[in-house]
Amino acid sequence: MPRKTKGAAKPGGFVQTTVEIEGRTETRIVEIPAFEPAAWGTDAELGIVGARVPRMDAPERVSGRARYTTDIVRPGMLHAAIVRSTIPRGTIRSLDLSRARAMPGVLDVLGPGDAPAGTRLFGREIFYAGQPIAAVCAATGHAARSAAHAIAVEYDTLPFAVTFEDATAKDAPKVRAKGNVMENAPLVISRGDMDAGLKAADVIVRREFRTPVQLHTALEPHGAVAEWEGDRLTVWESTQGIFRVRENVSKALGITLSKVRVIKDYMGGGFGAKNGAGPHTYVAALFAKRQGRAVRCINDREAEQTDSGNRPSSTQRVTIGAKKDGTLTAIFASIDVPLGISGWEGGPGQIYHELYACPNVRTEETFAYVNASGMAAFRGPGYVEGAFGLESAMNALAKELKLDPVALRVKNFAKREPRTARPYSGNSLLQCYKEGAEAFGWSHESRKPEAGSRTRVGKGMAAQVWPTGGGPPAYALVRMNSDATVDVLAGTQDLGTGARTVLSQIAAESLGAKLSDVRAIIGDTQSLPYTGNSWGSMTTASVGPAVRMAAEDARRQLFEAAGAMLDATPDALEARDSRIVVRDTDRTMTFAEVTAKLGNVMIIGKGSRGPNPADTAIMTFGAQFAEVEVDLDTGIVRVLRIVATHDAGRIINPTLAESQLEGGIIQGLGYALFEERVLDRRLGLVMNATIHDYKIPTMADIPLIDAFFVAGADPVANHTGARGIAEPPMIPTAPAIAAAVSDAIGAEVTEIPLTPWRVLAAIAAKARR
Amino acid sequence: MRLTVNGRVHTLDSALPLSLLELLRDRLALTGTKFVCGRGECGACTVQLDGETVYSCLTLAEACDGATVLTVEGLASGGGEPSLSPIQRAFIAKDAAQCGFCTPGQLMAAHTLLARNPHPTDDEIRSGMSGNLCRCGTYPKILAAVRAVADGEFAGSAEAGSVNAA
Ligand code: FES
Ligand code: FES
Repeated sequence: MPRKTKGAAKPGGFVQTTVEIEGRTETRIVEIPAFEPAAWGTDAELGIVGARVPRMDAPERVSGRARYTTDIVRPGMLHAAIVRSTIPRGTIRSLDLSRARAMPGVLDVLGPGDAPAGTRLFGREIFYAGQPIAAVCAATGHAARSAAHAIAVEYDTLPFAVTFEDATAKDAPKVRAKGNVMENAPLVISRGDMDAGLKAADVIVRREFRTPVQLHTALEPHGAVAEWEGDRLTVWESTQGIFRVRENVSKALGITLSKVRVIKDYMGGGFGAKNGAGPHTYVAALFAKRQGRAVRCINDREAEQTDSGNRPSSTQRVTIGAKKDGTLTAIFASIDVPLGISGWEGGPGQIYHELYACPNVRTEETFAYVNASGMAAFRGPGYVEGAFGLESAMNALAKELKLDPVALRVKNFAKREPRTARPYSGNSLLQCYKEGAEAFGWSHESRKPEAGSRTRVGKGMAAQVWPTGGGPPAYALVRMNSDATVDVLAGTQDLGTGARTVLSQIAAESLGAKLSDVRAIIGDTQSLPYTGNSWGSMTTASVGPAVRMAAEDARRQLFEAAGAMLDATPDALEARDSRIVVRDTDRTMTFAEVTAKLGNVMIIGKGSRGPNPADTAIMTFGAQFAEVEVDLDTGIVRVLRIVATHDAGRIINPTLAESQLEGGIIQGLGYALFEERVLDRRLGLVMNATIHDYKIPTMADIPLIDAFFVAGADPVANHTGARGIAEPPMIPTAPAIAAAVSDAIGAEVTEIPLTPWRVLAAIAAKARR
Repeated sequence: MRLTVNGRVHTLDSALPLSLLELLRDRLALTGTKFVCGRGECGACTVQLDGETVYSCLTLAEACDGATVLTVEGLASGGGEPSLSPIQRAFIAKDAAQCGFCTPGQLMAAHTLLARNPHPTDDEIRSGMSGNLCRCGTYPKILAAVRAVADGEFAGSAEAGSVNAA
């Protein structure tokens, strides 16, 4: 279908388009593809796209054959370990590397001054506990780790701040050289008139909410294997963005881009923390150069839990005003976020502006730097935290107004994206409310406890929005081999999301090939066309259209070749199950018969991702409903049931997409109930840097989960009709669970995780009232 | 020391200061079994040792003299997909592996659980599998996979696990 873009939108020309990543909008120059396939509309008859086919790389994953970065072994490979600071702030007075150097198996040591400036490694000034200060290279991992422990460091300590309050106090210590508050001022986003909005309100609720620091805790830690061949460097890295790692390494080490090759075959989870190169990458590359051998550097679990990124904590002071009928008149939030030593403004504020049609909205977010490891994107960054504040406040408002929380949300449904007044490419949030409530058997009446019972059951709900348009640049090739098998070539990555399967489905559908003849080859910067990071829930919506276009291009070539063989014009041909038929005749050839005749003449289709439609908001929506049981004596919360209904346009593979929903919900459940990094305020150290002490959900914690999608497709967003889904399901889970706990105990809970202690405190506070 | 791994007998230097996990991964190149915590907290390293589930990261290699070990690589009866064991086929069919990093450990825990208790209740599966963490959140699908094997859904031929459904 024709698509509106800014500038001259002629094929082959360049235009500006906007791409939203993790809630941030970027403007990019992109090429208009030579042709774009007609969009698969809502009623498109598709056989493979939309089918519940098993994950195509599952046999590798269940047989132990899948190779992760931690499994890469190169001839003569050495091992590196990183030494990290044990204080949060100060300078290194002395660092004795000699003992480490003398230890058996040790070949090399890097300390202050030994790494190129671009790596920002091994400075003498310490800004947080866990900061890399030196590294050891040895014949075995054991030897490297033992030597790392043997390095003696003396520090001159400096005062530090690890909490927002300490970092923003009047006489706060200097957390870093450039000031403790980002831009030295809050980030203010505002529309309408707050005073007028509050004046117009019949009811005003004011609450303060707190969310914890959450750790990604991917089971495969960050890691890299590096190997040089002359001046060319190959890096195997557990990453969500091979091309970004390439760019980072090229910059940090001063090597031209094309001499760096980054490979990622399988990875054991990312969730936002693996979006580029890290100290482990540079350490592996530097040692590999110095030693002339391959070097592996993998984070140990403590490093992974202390210095590999996190979702920062937040305090959100929220004021919401509404008319008696529930119409919102004002939403205000003042938000504090301690980022760690570095980070960006992916804060809780955004969702306050985007979820509801309210004329007057204002957020003031203060991002403080503290002497702790820097934050990183974590599945739905900002929106997960913000949803806890906004949706908990909405639930409090519903209670105040004696309205059904679902009805309150329906009342304030935004017909256009409320921040910018852009139309949506598609929005079935109302359908999500309806179908979710039905599946759950929702009624907002609290359940009467059984006489004498010391457990209480409660229920709650919350909603979600998240920008998921994806966008250019992304390229793909579809290659038909001489045996009529098909390779999809795209430099993307499969985090466990199912990208290989989904892209193969799109290619098979477009080409008319059997899915079993198609395979996706991904994860290598040297041999594959560029695609961006797998972040912002954007892989399917970015790479999918490029793959479809490449497959259509390949089909066009195939039909031209087959037309000559079948004595028909190409437009009289159809393909299905790897067989071409001349329409309305019995003349037919299989793909293999065509390619056998072609011999080594290859069919290679090329595709790219076109620009997004201009001035259109492309978002994924959803609603979740939770039922919990609370033990009044122990404060233990058990989630009994979650119903999740989301709208992500066309779902390419419902089975895999539902797995993503479940994964997000379970991480959201952990966030609601257990997960909390504990950083001691006086020591400046992480106190629970093990998987035992930092609790993530186990199978015993899992409720019944009914997670599904509303039917439909979004042909306006892109010509596959699919939007993203990875992050959205995590956004509403915690506020839905918290609302259910509040309902169960008859007292509001405003701080997560809802540990037994916090729940008991809420029960006790209620009893005192 | 002698050790049988996945049906193959290995003769090794007995003074190896290694865990069974390191022995498998670094000496025998069986990298299917994963290292995550190294201290018995996650289950990623789960293997079967003389028919029992063990965390191989906490098991001394030396103590395995004469033992029989089964790892994820030994679950299939031969090469290729048709030879995959019922629990592996169930994991594929129920989509019980996302990133797959925890999967080898999950499979070994499930395999041993079913060998000892072929007809577990859902609660027995939940508690039996709760020593194996999964950050991707595949738990509902793992439960479904173990349930399906217990219910006989994957007995017999390999067709049910085929990836060529479309
Ligand atoms: S690696 Fe053995 S239990 Fe975690
Ligand atoms: S599938 Fe990723 S940790 Fe379990």
